[in-house]
Amino acid sequence: MDFFSQLTPMILLLVFAGTLIGIIFGSIPGMTATMAVAVCLPLTYSLGINGALALLLGLYVGGIAGGMVPAVLLNLPGTPSSICTTFDGHPMAKKGEGEKALKVGIVASLFGGLFSAAILFFLAPVLADFAIKFSYVEKFLIIFLALTVIGSLAKNMLMGIFSGILGVWLSLIGVYPVTVGGNGETRLMFDFMEYYMYSGFSLLPVLIGIFGLSVILLDAEKGLKGDGDGQAIKLTKGSGFSFRDIKGQLVNMIRSSSIGTFVGILPGVGGSTCSILAYTQEKNFSKDSSRMGKGAPQGIIASESSNNALTGGALVPLLSLGIPGDSTTAIMIGAFTLQGIQVGPLFINSNIDTWYMIVTMLVVANLIMFAAMFFAIKYIAKVIEVPKHLLYPIIVMMCVAGAYAINYGIMFDVWVLLIFGVLGYIASKVGIEVVPLIIGFILGRSAEVYFVKSLESFGNFTIFFTKSPIAVVLWVLIIISVAFPIYMRMRSRRGGDAVQSN
Amino acid sequence: MESNFLSLFDVAIDFEQSHLFFPRIVTWVLLIMLFIIVIRERKAILPGLSRAGKAVFSKEGDFDRFRFFGTLALTTAYFYLMYAVGRMFPNTGYGFLLMSMPFIFLLSLLFVGIKTRRNVMIIFANAVIAPGLAWYVLSQLFNITLP
Amino acid sequence: MKSMPVSFRLSLCALAIAGVSTSTLAAEECPIPGNVRVVIGSTSTGGDTYQNSSIVVDRLAEKLDINMKVDAVGAMPAFRALERSSNGSTLMIFHDMAYLGHLYGINGYDNIFEKYKVGPTVAINPGNAYLVPKNSPYQTVDEIIDAAGNGEEISVAIQPGGVSEIGFSALKNAVKIEYPGMEDNIVAVNTGSQADKNQLLFNGYADVINGSVQANEQYTRLPEDDQKAMRFVWLTARNETIKQANEEGLGETTREELLQYVTPNVSVTMDGEKDFTFDKEFFFLYNKDMSPEIVSCIDNALGEIYAQGEIQEQQKSLFFIPNFLPSSEAAAHLKDKMARYETVIENIQ
Repeated sequence: MDFFSQLTPMILLLVFAGTLIGIIFGSIPGMTATMAVAVCLPLTYSLGINGALALLLGLYVGGIAGGMVPAVLLNLPGTPSSICTTFDGHPMAKKGEGEKALKVGIVASLFGGLFSAAILFFLAPVLADFAIKFSYVEKFLIIFLALTVIGSLAKNMLMGIFSGILGVWLSLIGVYPVTVGGNGETRLMFDFMEYYMYSGFSLLPVLIGIFGLSVILLDAEKGLKGDGDGQAIKLTKGSGFSFRDIKGQLVNMIRSSSIGTFVGILPGVGGSTCSILAYTQEKNFSKDSSRMGKGAPQGIIASESSNNALTGGALVPLLSLGIPGDSTTAIMIGAFTLQGIQVGPLFINSNIDTWYMIVTMLVVANLIMFAAMFFAIKYIAKVIEVPKHLLYPIIVMMCVAGAYAINYGIMFDVWVLLIFGVLGYIASKVGIEVVPLIIGFILGRSAEVYFVKSLESFGNFTIFFTKSPIAVVLWVLIIISVAFPIYMRMRSRRGGDAVQSN
Repeated sequence: MESNFLSLFDVAIDFEQSHLFFPRIVTWVLLIMLFIIVIRERKAILPGLSRAGKAVFSKEGDFDRFRFFGTLALTTAYFYLMYAVGRMFPNTGYGFLLMSMPFIFLLSLLFVGIKTRRNVMIIFANAVIAPGLAWYVLSQLFNITLP
Repeated sequence: MKSMPVSFRLSLCALAIAGVSTSTLAAEECPIPGNVRVVIGSTSTGGDTYQNSSIVVDRLAEKLDINMKVDAVGAMPAFRALERSSNGSTLMIFHDMAYLGHLYGINGYDNIFEKYKVGPTVAINPGNAYLVPKNSPYQTVDEIIDAAGNGEEISVAIQPGGVSEIGFSALKNAVKIEYPGMEDNIVAVNTGSQADKNQLLFNGYADVINGSVQANEQYTRLPEDDQKAMRFVWLTARNETIKQANEEGLGETTREELLQYVTPNVSVTMDGEKDFTFDKEFFFLYNKDMSPEIVSCIDNALGEIYAQGEIQEQQKSLFFIPNFLPSSEAAAHLKDKMARYETVIENIQ
């Protein structure tokens, strides 16, 4: 085959460099995979299409996987798709099992990455044809399904749902942009705010404000006690990693990877949605989900295998329809256009060598990611032992750089960091739950577009039930997803009454 | 909005007003939920507020006012000055570089428990090296726009 | 020890100032700052605005010997950034949406000729197109206009308020001229990205979509029984514009084939006599108060770049039509364009 001759050491070196840089970007709070791809895009112009893709695919895979590092160690998702990794990863780190948590995550990431590469290779055109059956209505139902996860993640049902809706509300502030088919009018604000708030709040500054800055404020309020004395997290405690931790998780990994791949394939359903969906489905369908949220490896596996499976999935519509599957592939499409290569339904057949290269490089990037992270993790995990008085200021600085850079230099995004840092602080004081809030925020805008566009097209609410068999299946999943946490709560309340007498 | 409903499930959205359709629904649900929560938790609200007030304004308790408000003040000043200084050297990232150094130095000093000579030396070195490195890598190597 | 950070900062300041002043001295005849940021009206780094801007900006930076960088901030943040900086350290590149947004009354779009300085035009994207499903009953735009005139409702998927809508408005206008009173049969389906527009066509919720030669050419080569297959019915570009494209056209569709879809082969009337045409043009926008020296400096630099002829090759290879006009000519040309489209938009209101 001709493509083996194209697989030069230079290409492998670029994949390697891309993956390493991606891991570093992903590991730094405030820097994301999307950003890594965006900043390297102009550098790829001179590399030719294979070189450009080698670098960018490496960055993509490395960046998504690297996001788990701050999620586990600092409780700060390095990339929006690793939010769910914090739920179980950080509790494990607190128990001294940070290294183990990361290793579980890396194995899950590798599985997810390879799984989706296989799907991409064998099923891309078929799945692309399936994906275009999803119209506004079905996409809204997927978003709605992801929103129902709030019910099972909330500590207090009423407050959790309130927080989720508050998150949706916050996401709607600003313009209803013409670029999604809106009318370009702003809402939920006063006229004088329009100058700054026209574009609303961006996800990244909101995320790192709530997860990063507000935690620093909470610690500052306590006077940073626990720093320097024996309270600090030590790595040595707790049990180490062994492959036994992953045993019995095959179903989880396959389910989560499938969800990740599929969400990637659906254009317009954001990448962060996939780990949220995978996490809840694990919670709803696994035999024992009682420890999830308190430091269970299965939660990390669900989140990380799904978000790495997203990579292959998001390439499906890119390569077989010319439509990016998530925000990172949206930037990657620039590599093709800068080289003057058309992506569309005929891309694979007319560029068969490039196609083989892409799949090969995706697999290679995943292997490099695994090797680099698995053996470096011991040293990376030491971050957690850096005293907070040195670490926190650097985190703030990097979050500022990330917030400013995510939309290519908007100062308001830096202020959003502070606004949501303070908001997150207040929220934790009045009982508003941060996780449902951020999930509502992530999904809010897509929910609006698909909801309003569905109604604009069909003019009747009943369309959400009658549209297609796919819609019916999604409703069944939604009902399960809503009913399950209610059932669990009732059961545990009954159990709780019995325990209370102790 | 009521007049838009032709029948129970029919709905017509005027494109000119479509930016308000969904936000209105969300706002109403939010207000209703807030109402329910206030009713249910009405007994806890007033004592909670007075506790919060006491924590912030009185000297007793665990609330470290100096560090908390110090962090807020430093961060606000940092953001503001970074932009102001950055405007003097457009598109160079110097605002970020020049303001991050004192910010990191002061915030570390604020947070550190015991100010030994060694600690302060480490803090100083950290405050110079970290922003320098971040600025060099981001703005010079990767050409990222910084304030 | 306390004095160390201060002195260090001072020396850094000095370094910074020195850095800035040397770069400005180097280009004495051209008072443009040494670090220039070019904001664009689109947030996509895969789109035509970014592609075009990076071609032009790379060459301009080389010519002027300064650092220049393209930032895909999107229309509104780009306008704001431009307003704030009058010393030439922030420039903007955008396309016809800049004034069409104003004509359509989109919130936040001011009259660019009053609020900013219009800089040189650099290129045309000739690919703005309208497509139907391959098995659509409508073979031509004429049939679409006739169908609408005879009472059939035709839904057209567009992104509101800009380049995507202007062709739709022209279609509506043509129906109004040929079949007065029937223009409301041309219905807009307002949506967002190209993906969304395609999706509406696949699902059968739109009869016609706006698209582009670049994004949709491969879909036109699919077999008719494929749900995704489409067919061009109209390219809005002028005949002369398409004639300047490379002979091989784009993908497997040659220039000759593309010419079938432009005027006079496809006729969408503007006023009963002339055909409506629309070229999507990319041009610079400057702060209102930017000094005339910088304006002429960029004009001259671009003039030299275009005189060398390499940039045209690069643009053509990426299916753009080079179209350099210095600032003053560009402003007159675009003003003229805006007046023309204003009549179309007003006529259908």
